[in-house]
Amino acid sequence: MRAIFAVYKREVGLFFRSPIAYAITFGLLLLIGLLFSDNVRQIALINQQGQATYGAEEAFLSNLFFITFLMFIVAPLLTMRLIAEEAREGTLEVLMTLPMGESAFIIGKFFAVWTVYTVILLLTLIHLVMLASYGATLDGGLVAVVYFGAWLYGGAVLSVTLIWSAITEDQIVAAFLGAASVLVLFLADRAAEIAANQPSTAGAADFLRELGLTAHYQNTMLEGILRAEDVAYFILVMIACLFITTLITGTRRWRAS
Amino acid sequence: MIEVSGLVKKYGDVTAVRGISFTAEPGKVTGFLGPNGAGKTTTMRILTGYTPPTAGKAVVAGFDVFEKSLAVRKRVGYLPENVPLYRDMTAIGYLMYLAEIRGVKNRRSRAEDVLTRVGLLKRAESQIRTLSKGMKQRVGLASALLHDPEVLILDEPTIGLDPFQVLELRDLVKELGKNHTVLFSTHILSEAEQVCDKVVIINRGEIVAQGAPQELRGELERGGRVLVRANGNVDVILTTMQQTNGVKEVTQIPEGFVVTPSEASLDPRPAVAKALVNANIELVEIRPLAVNLEEIFLELTRRVQPDTETPTDESLLAADVVAEAAKE
Repeated sequence: MRAIFAVYKREVGLFFRSPIAYAITFGLLLLIGLLFSDNVRQIALINQQGQATYGAEEAFLSNLFFITFLMFIVAPLLTMRLIAEEAREGTLEVLMTLPMGESAFIIGKFFAVWTVYTVILLLTLIHLVMLASYGATLDGGLVAVVYFGAWLYGGAVLSVTLIWSAITEDQIVAAFLGAASVLVLFLADRAAEIAANQPSTAGAADFLRELGLTAHYQNTMLEGILRAEDVAYFILVMIACLFITTLITGTRRWRAS
Repeated sequence: MIEVSGLVKKYGDVTAVRGISFTAEPGKVTGFLGPNGAGKTTTMRILTGYTPPTAGKAVVAGFDVFEKSLAVRKRVGYLPENVPLYRDMTAIGYLMYLAEIRGVKNRRSRAEDVLTRVGLLKRAESQIRTLSKGMKQRVGLASALLHDPEVLILDEPTIGLDPFQVLELRDLVKELGKNHTVLFSTHILSEAEQVCDKVVIINRGEIVAQGAPQELRGELERGGRVLVRANGNVDVILTTMQQTNGVKEVTQIPEGFVVTPSEASLDPRPAVAKALVNANIELVEIRPLAVNLEEIFLELTRRVQPDTETPTDESLLAADVVAEAAKE
């Protein structure tokens, strides 16, 4: 516990002192902000024409859709350094000869990066404040479920990309493969649709859909539906990925460097 | 205390360590000596619990490194080769970070203590990346001392330091050896001879010799040979010495003549000197061909390399003389 906290503190401190976290936050908020203002402009146009079928809720939900979608690129950028750099610099060897298990090290790192993501996510709440200032009212329950889901979604995606940082010492490779694997999980429900159309693979369709991210967030929580199975899915993904990352980091002990 | 028996480490098809056994006693500095790639770092990684052995047993500070890895890691201070450090932290910040993971109490005062010990307190607040190589080395050493470990394992700590820093570090290691078990690897032979109470020589994953530097030297003194330098007719000198009592063989080398006595315990110098003077030869110098660790090392590491050309006695002699000449 003590070791987890020590690793966590150092890593969070490092994020807020390094330009990477600020660059990513800036880039993401800029992109989301542009999309958001475009959404709001369209709403204003429609409303002027007296066809108010498109409202603040849609603007808010599309915002969160893009934030979670963009995690396929944000997450690998945040996690690529975490283990790869320590392995390359040799500091991993120092840490692995301290009285601390690999799991403490991995868990500390993971919670640090999840914290950074949480801060970024909280910053996007500014859009809600803007909508409110224009008099738009959003359902509190919906906002809570959508944000809670986005928080879990981010954690799961970060844990997936963290695996690659443990596998390779090359940060670019880790980032690229991390982005690819998140996209695969994101598109799993498309694969499920294709599979469902073929009688031979129809049985795998449900499995594929449930394996992917979309079935547990974009299609459920983002519509305000809170299901225990979706929460369980994200938590299980995180536990499984952290376990895998720990095992992979442990195998370094067996490898010659 | 470090006790290693029959330790083997394989990386796939490559065997880095082939069944080595040795001990390192408390209150002593044990030198781990060998050429690059001999298996020093691998052995040290096993002893620190970083990598498990393929076979054999290693007990450090009373605990098996494989079965009680965490207990070993609590009691070992390790300075890896190349001293990996967090470049973005301050020296004191780094030490306090490791102290926190190790659960050391009074982290700041402890970190300051060890920085004082390595003479780096005034740079405590400097970013590690701004420190010189020698200072980084000392930060690494300070981190190994943080928890006042029973056993210190230092992997080539003097590499890359300037001569002055090397001297400082050697003194520090000697000092630490007084109340810790220190295992210290190096491929610099004179260093091992100066710093260590005991030397373990490893080559190609096997131990080729171990003991106190003096013991090793005694073991390998090659038959009490002496070097003679004299002016005069070479043939006369050769025949004069060959006819002297107690001389088995005389060889001419560029620096002079090497006289091998008929018995190793016999000192041929008085007889040879007398004979030469009687023959009216100008005797310039006569002295034993001392064997130093360097020569022992060269000979031992040659012995176990059957695939390389077996050196002739002449080439060994030449090596002796070159080493001797280098000293002067």
